[in-house]
Amino acid sequence: MLKTLKNELVPFVKDALKWNFSGSRGYQIYLCILFALMVVGFYAYTIQLTEGLAATGMSNIVSWGLYISNFTFLVGVAAAAVMLILPAYIFKDKDLHKVVIIGEGVAVGALVMCLLFILADLGGIIKAWHLAPAIGLFNWPASILAWDVLVLNGYLALNVLVPAYILFCHYNGREPVAKRYRPFVFLSIFWAVAIHMVTAFLYEGLPARPFWNNPLLGPRFLASAFAAGPALIMVVLIVIHRKTVFKIDSQIFNKLRIIIVVAGTVNLLMLFSEIFKEFYSPTHHSLSAVYLFFGLEGHNALVPWIWTSITLNLTAIVILGFNPGKNNPKILMPVCVTLFFAIWIEKGMGLIVPGLIPSPLGEITNYSPSWVEIGVTIGILALGTFVVTMLIKPALFIEQRFEELHGESA
Amino acid sequence: MNVFKKVIPVLLVWGGMLLAFSGCEGVSGHQDVMELIKAADKPVESMKPTEALPSAPLVIVKEPYQGGPFYTQSRKSEIGRFQCSSCHTGKDVTINQAKEAAHGDIKLFHGAVDDPNACDTCHNLSDRDYLGTDSIAKIDFDHSYQLCGTCHFRQKKDWVGGAHGKRVQNWAGQRVVQNCTGCHNPHSPRFSKRWPATFSLPDSVLPDQEDEG
Amino acid sequence: MAANKKKTMNQKHDRRTFLKGAATCAAAGSALIASGCNNRPLPGGDDEMSVRWKEYFKKNYQLMTPEEKEATIRRLEQLSKLDYDVDASIARTEPRGKVLFGYAFNITRCEGFMDCVQACVEENNLDRKSKTQYVRVFEMENGQMDISTGNGKYFHEVPKEDHFYMGIQCFHCEQAPCIKACPTKATWMEPDGIVVVDYDWCIGCRYCMAACPYWGRRFNWHDPEVPKEEMNKKQHYLGNRMRKKGQMEKCTFCIQRTRNGKLPACAEACPTGARVFGNLLDPDSEIRFVLKNKKVFRMKEELGTDPKFWYFID
Repeated sequence: MLKTLKNELVPFVKDALKWNFSGSRGYQIYLCILFALMVVGFYAYTIQLTEGLAATGMSNIVSWGLYISNFTFLVGVAAAAVMLILPAYIFKDKDLHKVVIIGEGVAVGALVMCLLFILADLGGIIKAWHLAPAIGLFNWPASILAWDVLVLNGYLALNVLVPAYILFCHYNGREPVAKRYRPFVFLSIFWAVAIHMVTAFLYEGLPARPFWNNPLLGPRFLASAFAAGPALIMVVLIVIHRKTVFKIDSQIFNKLRIIIVVAGTVNLLMLFSEIFKEFYSPTHHSLSAVYLFFGLEGHNALVPWIWTSITLNLTAIVILGFNPGKNNPKILMPVCVTLFFAIWIEKGMGLIVPGLIPSPLGEITNYSPSWVEIGVTIGILALGTFVVTMLIKPALFIEQRFEELHGESA
Repeated sequence: MNVFKKVIPVLLVWGGMLLAFSGCEGVSGHQDVMELIKAADKPVESMKPTEALPSAPLVIVKEPYQGGPFYTQSRKSEIGRFQCSSCHTGKDVTINQAKEAAHGDIKLFHGAVDDPNACDTCHNLSDRDYLGTDSIAKIDFDHSYQLCGTCHFRQKKDWVGGAHGKRVQNWAGQRVVQNCTGCHNPHSPRFSKRWPATFSLPDSVLPDQEDEG
Repeated sequence: MAANKKKTMNQKHDRRTFLKGAATCAAAGSALIASGCNNRPLPGGDDEMSVRWKEYFKKNYQLMTPEEKEATIRRLEQLSKLDYDVDASIARTEPRGKVLFGYAFNITRCEGFMDCVQACVEENNLDRKSKTQYVRVFEMENGQMDISTGNGKYFHEVPKEDHFYMGIQCFHCEQAPCIKACPTKATWMEPDGIVVVDYDWCIGCRYCMAACPYWGRRFNWHDPEVPKEEMNKKQHYLGNRMRKKGQMEKCTFCIQRTRNGKLPACAEACPTGARVFGNLLDPDSEIRFVLKNKKVFRMKEELGTDPKFWYFID
């Protein structure tokens, strides 16, 4: 058994590497750019390691910034793979079933980025082993951060192992054994919701921060995730459709579009509810929202960002809703990129930074990320893109080959 | 059977979360501070401080205090020209410019603006080595609180109890408090305006980091 | 055929470039790490590498045996000499039984002098470069009680007319949200009520800082700088010993003083006697007198933090 595994595993890995590092000139340039950005990120991080987090733009008032903003947003993107798995496995949608593997690749890339952003944000990264349950001290179940560590790593395992198993079987020309992996697929549906609710609870559970301490934060996270995540998956699918031989049926684009529109509309509704709560009867607790939307005492760095985000968000949802191009990728692509960007603003810096301004003592400051922070962020984003590429490219090869050999996969 | 398989992971996750969250502190019984305080009604033996108090002469305060006898710092040893009766023998002081030389540094600014205290409001004119007036018994300089307390009786009650004034060095062990004159200049007791010892820059990380906007 | 060969050539070239790049990065990385380490001899015979190695792998202070605590203190004192050229004496005074520290602040008496702030900075070896201060004083306009309406950055002659002053620092809450938030249990409440931080155990995630409703916690964004001649050498492991970058810190009610019976530096420094400190479990203490006889309130009490710091009015 072990020998056959070795016999099958080694060529699998070899082939995967071969597929990943070969390709057209354009693809190789793309990889080189990613490497260059990763080097930039690595260099910026070494500066942060030697100087301390003073190299970033964070302070005792805005103690979380670009890193945690990106982490928060990307957990949502990772959870959004469930928006493909749910219809594929529970509603037995054959169209979406074909692209589940791509969704999972995106999820893994997003999750790797999340974990890296947390690590980059730590003041004492070499002491991260203090978190490990047996050798360190793990404050579970009291600390929501402890919960987050568990659910994120669990989700990563689910999203790596299940597709790996399926792909491995397909690579060797056989059907994966359904009863081995299907329970985990169903588990991953609920786990996806869990990772994003737990991440939302990180902020929701802090009475010290009234901007975050509201029960709508968890559901809002899910709604925005299920709009932004599928938007990204849509972009990835369009790229695959255009640049590879793996063709995506327009039905898939339509279904994804509908998912995005529904989730995006719910997200906007929740935004409206939050705005009403903060501004109908403003209290001292509304100051964070005032800072975000209108600026406070001359500090208004985020004001243009949030209004841009809301405008782009609304526009994108309306366009996707009315579907003027009838699922034409030429229209879908830029609109989805716009929506992704808009939600990245509102859920990243538009959530984290206002939650910390004003401070619990009412003190106001501005935050802008330093070059080190931006460098590390770019590096991690490049690494995540690289991971997604590394996972999807061999997956496409394997799936294409399997489909040619066996007709439609189960 | 198929439905059951789908339901099991759900139940596992929910059940696990319920179990785990029930272990959270919010549910378990934790006494709050007020309950702890109410329960602590028996006298507690105070710990002995490791560092001795600065060696200044102390006197025992002639006021009943809930924790037993307590001390304050002697004042007579601080006054340079004590004994006052060495100049004020009962007859007029005839030394040239003695008032400016001996008491020129005293600014009297105590009492109401339109009806301020005079020297003899507090100082005993018949016996200069004591405070008080002829109508109130002679009050020792070391026990000036008895005099201050005739007008400032609320502050005196608080000072005895501990809500006013300050302990010297230790919170534990033998209670030694500053006497009134330890903080207040008796002739001009109001704290004067001054500049603060420092200022705050709560959002600075490095000194050259500019506050944007 | 030629096309295939060309394709394989491209693949090889690409792989080679990648591996070369990876090797360079690895070499650079290890060189970076190695250059940061010296191996100077320490007083007491040990060498720096083994001391730092042992310090890196030590447990959370709550789990240490008394021998381990002694050992880490000896190592830290050696490192203090090496890093700061200061002979620090680090204590590990244990909490006494039947002691629960409480604090009261008289907002009628505070005149905004900030002697407390400065005394704390000097007593607790706070970073001078970033002007870290555990204690803050807010200038409040008469008629308002919410500290967020106050001004914490004032610098002019005090007291200002029609204003009063409110000091704030870590309140050592009985239901501290920071303790609940910390994922590694690097912060906890000692039996005598002081909420402490094991600096070396903290991983610097700053979740506790987000959780504190009173802005009670500070983070070391860079290595703190204290002039050698101003450094307080009488230190406590959980108190005012020198911290490093990436570690959280906060007011410890001057644990190095209060566990020896002394007042915290802020209470001692206050010229107007606005600060009262003592044992809440001693019914004869001054703090109990204040709670019994004065109108007291706690800040943001509705958040359920149960702080051990009260404000009162004369």
